[in-house]
Amino acid sequence: MKKETIRQSFTTGIVFGIIHIFCVLIAFNAMIGSLLAKIVGVSSTITSPVVGSLIAYAVLLGIWAGWISARRQHEASSKERLVASTITGVSFGLMAVFLVGIFQIMLTNQVNPRDYLTNLSFPFMKASLYNLTAVPGILANFFTFLLSSLLGGLIVVGWNLTRVTDLRHKAAAVLKNGYAKIRGGSAKTQQIKKYVFYGLLFLLVAILPLKWGSYWNYVMGTVGLYVILGLGLNIIVGLSGQLVLGYIAFFAIGAYTMALLNAPLPHNILLGFWPTLVIAVLLAALAGLLLGLPLMRLRGDYLAIVTLGFGEIIRILLNSDILTSFTGGPKGVQDIRGPSLFGRAFNDIDYMYLIIATVILAIYVYRRLQHSRTGRAWLSIREDETVARSTGVNTVNYKLLALVLGAAFAGLAGAISASRNQFTGPSEHSMMASINVLCEIIVGGLGNIPGTLLGAFALKGLPELLREVENYRMLAFGALLVAMMLIRPDGLIPSQRPTLELEEQQDEPPSFDSMKPNESKPTKGATS
Amino acid sequence: MTAEIFSDHKKKGYQLLKLIRPLLGGIVGLFLVYRLYIVLIVDHPYGPDTWTRLLIAGLILGGVYSLIAIGYTLVYGILFMINFAHGEVMMIGAFGGYFVFEALNALKVSGGTGTNNFLNAYPYLSIIFAFIAGMTISALTGFFLEKIAYRPLRKAPRLVPLICAIGASIFLQNAVQLLFSSQLRNYTNPDVLRRGEGWTIVINHSNVIVPYTGVFSFVLSVVLLILLYTIVSKTRLGRAMRAVALDKKTAALMGVDVDRTISQTFILSGALAGAAGVMWGIHNGLVYYYTGFIPGIKAFTAAVLGGIGNLPGAMLGGLFLGIVESIGPAALGINFQLKDVLAFGILIIVLIFKPSGLLGESLAEEKL
Repeated sequence: MKKETIRQSFTTGIVFGIIHIFCVLIAFNAMIGSLLAKIVGVSSTITSPVVGSLIAYAVLLGIWAGWISARRQHEASSKERLVASTITGVSFGLMAVFLVGIFQIMLTNQVNPRDYLTNLSFPFMKASLYNLTAVPGILANFFTFLLSSLLGGLIVVGWNLTRVTDLRHKAAAVLKNGYAKIRGGSAKTQQIKKYVFYGLLFLLVAILPLKWGSYWNYVMGTVGLYVILGLGLNIIVGLSGQLVLGYIAFFAIGAYTMALLNAPLPHNILLGFWPTLVIAVLLAALAGLLLGLPLMRLRGDYLAIVTLGFGEIIRILLNSDILTSFTGGPKGVQDIRGPSLFGRAFNDIDYMYLIIATVILAIYVYRRLQHSRTGRAWLSIREDETVARSTGVNTVNYKLLALVLGAAFAGLAGAISASRNQFTGPSEHSMMASINVLCEIIVGGLGNIPGTLLGAFALKGLPELLREVENYRMLAFGALLVAMMLIRPDGLIPSQRPTLELEEQQDEPPSFDSMKPNESKPTKGATS
Repeated sequence: MTAEIFSDHKKKGYQLLKLIRPLLGGIVGLFLVYRLYIVLIVDHPYGPDTWTRLLIAGLILGGVYSLIAIGYTLVYGILFMINFAHGEVMMIGAFGGYFVFEALNALKVSGGTGTNNFLNAYPYLSIIFAFIAGMTISALTGFFLEKIAYRPLRKAPRLVPLICAIGASIFLQNAVQLLFSSQLRNYTNPDVLRRGEGWTIVINHSNVIVPYTGVFSFVLSVVLLILLYTIVSKTRLGRAMRAVALDKKTAALMGVDVDRTISQTFILSGALAGAAGVMWGIHNGLVYYYTGFIPGIKAFTAAVLGGIGNLPGAMLGGLFLGIVESIGPAALGINFQLKDVLAFGILIIVLIFKPSGLLGESLAEEKL
């Protein structure tokens, strides 16, 4: 048995122990436990969880720890793997014992830590000790982790022995062949297949809003609006490579234009939806132009910070008292009128169709831009602005154009959103919203349409689905962002184009770069 | 800047650009002069006592901003990344100090100066403990943040670490919220530093209170800033940091352990942020999970104002921003709600007219 193995396995256990302690302190274990309990039909709450649900969570985490620990031993024998996972189980168990030991001390002395650590109520701590007395409870905790970690090791060993990996490769190959068959064929059949695919998609999109009910229409409408926003920001960040952080300010301008020109209060101007929509888009674009003109000298982080400041200024102004008579102040504007077409006022299904139509329009515009002369100019600016300029690209105009178009997209989304919700207020336009949009396009994959769609679903659709885990939503979101950046910095669907272009450029020995700062040199698929 | 190197001024875009900047500057300048004239000479709404109060508040705020801004500048100077989670590091430090004060307040001792809880029996020791705890926990947060979230991304394009930092910021905020709940927590100061009390000076027949907590935090921040400056300019660690900031590869060839230096930078900036957090708690009295966010952004503004990557710049930028935020709304006769608008407005104007910051060096331009 190598010393290194023992040390590694021990550290794995400690790290998992720390994660476990953190999860217990934020009652994450009870939350996971309650979800697991729901599957078998038992109700368990976070404040006083059922013991079984906590054990289920502990076993899952233990198996994971053992699994990781056994997998870390490359080219080791089965016995060594099992020993590694056992060591991990012991150190993990000791950490858990440390935690429940403290719980036991607090229980015997009747110390209530709830004032400081908000989740640690007496029932919760008792349940952590499996409702047993001191020594059996602590021992039971220890053995839960030890045994489940060992189980994890066994799973790894069993996995290797039965050659499940081969099966997996075979399955992947079958899937790949099938996909190639579907995609294959002559140019003409491919064309037909494409039309059939889009036709089916169109049919699905056309039928779904009728069947969904208003809740789903609302959720998917929000997703659609975020797709438009994401595409707009993608023009600025993904295509032309300028990092803009206060993007939601343009959304706010669109929303407030709609609100002020189309609501009874505060001005009682009822211009009607369609003209206001046009004005909103134009105003947002104008704001993009005005903001862009003095900023075109700036690059990178500086541009990011200035636009962040701009976004904050807009929000603070909307929130302050001085503009209350003009914009409604912190309370926002209510009762924004909706559109009507052929004498019929819009209901939620009509809104859904409006949003779908707008999304399709946005996707079309985006595609045309991306593959045009303008798109190539943006690409060259993104890859290296200095080179782009010296080869005759008018960088200022193209950067401005990107900003103006992106702002127009945001204005469009803002106007539709304000009219659909019949409300807009400063709280909708916080900096978090800007960051959400940015995260959306980065999680999905910078600069491409499927990535934007996926990002919008992931960031706006999923949280709606996971209403139960509401408290843990933002925590998971933050952790996911970090994990995404560490594991897949190019997003879920990386852009294809830059990768192809960089193939021939890989002549530098990569090890040398390890000391370089992240200069504007583009690596796979992402921009600087 | 490249605009000067490739002097294609004849193109339409650049002519427009050349026109718009002086125009904008003129409008803003005229507006400021006009408002100052109206407020200071025509309206004359406040006496010298009020101005003194505002100045004191501004200096105290500025000291805290300086400490946080230093952290941004140190990290930006070395890694060229905005450590978006730095405000959260400060918030965690504030919580560290809070728990130490609570624990010491609950700890009963015999002897001392009459009172029987540790906090008031040994107030100076308690304050030192609180700062040590706050700085340590913040330094640890910074250290692990770098190790887990930023180190694997050294070679990645610039957007990636920024998003990662945003993610870390969201994570830390919500972790603290879930651990300690979202309620506002009242800092228990020892009696020597009771909030709202202070020396009284009489200006213009009215009392101006110079709060103990404020003087304490201002003096301490100046001491810490001097200490940091000495570390960076005199010690071996400081030399290594400057070398790494200039050129990582060459520094590595000269025998500097780049990874270790970066870790130490994060520890140093985290410790300063922790101190700022404890000061924030002692002076303002309330901490909760969102405490760090706004000061973090303001401090970043301060760092940019002074020229990012420039230590004296960050210190002066912080002080300047604190004072402007405090005095500015009164001097311009605008609503106090708009102090943040003023701060961000200054940021935008500085970046438009002098992107390298007030004390900017030529280095800053390469890093654009």
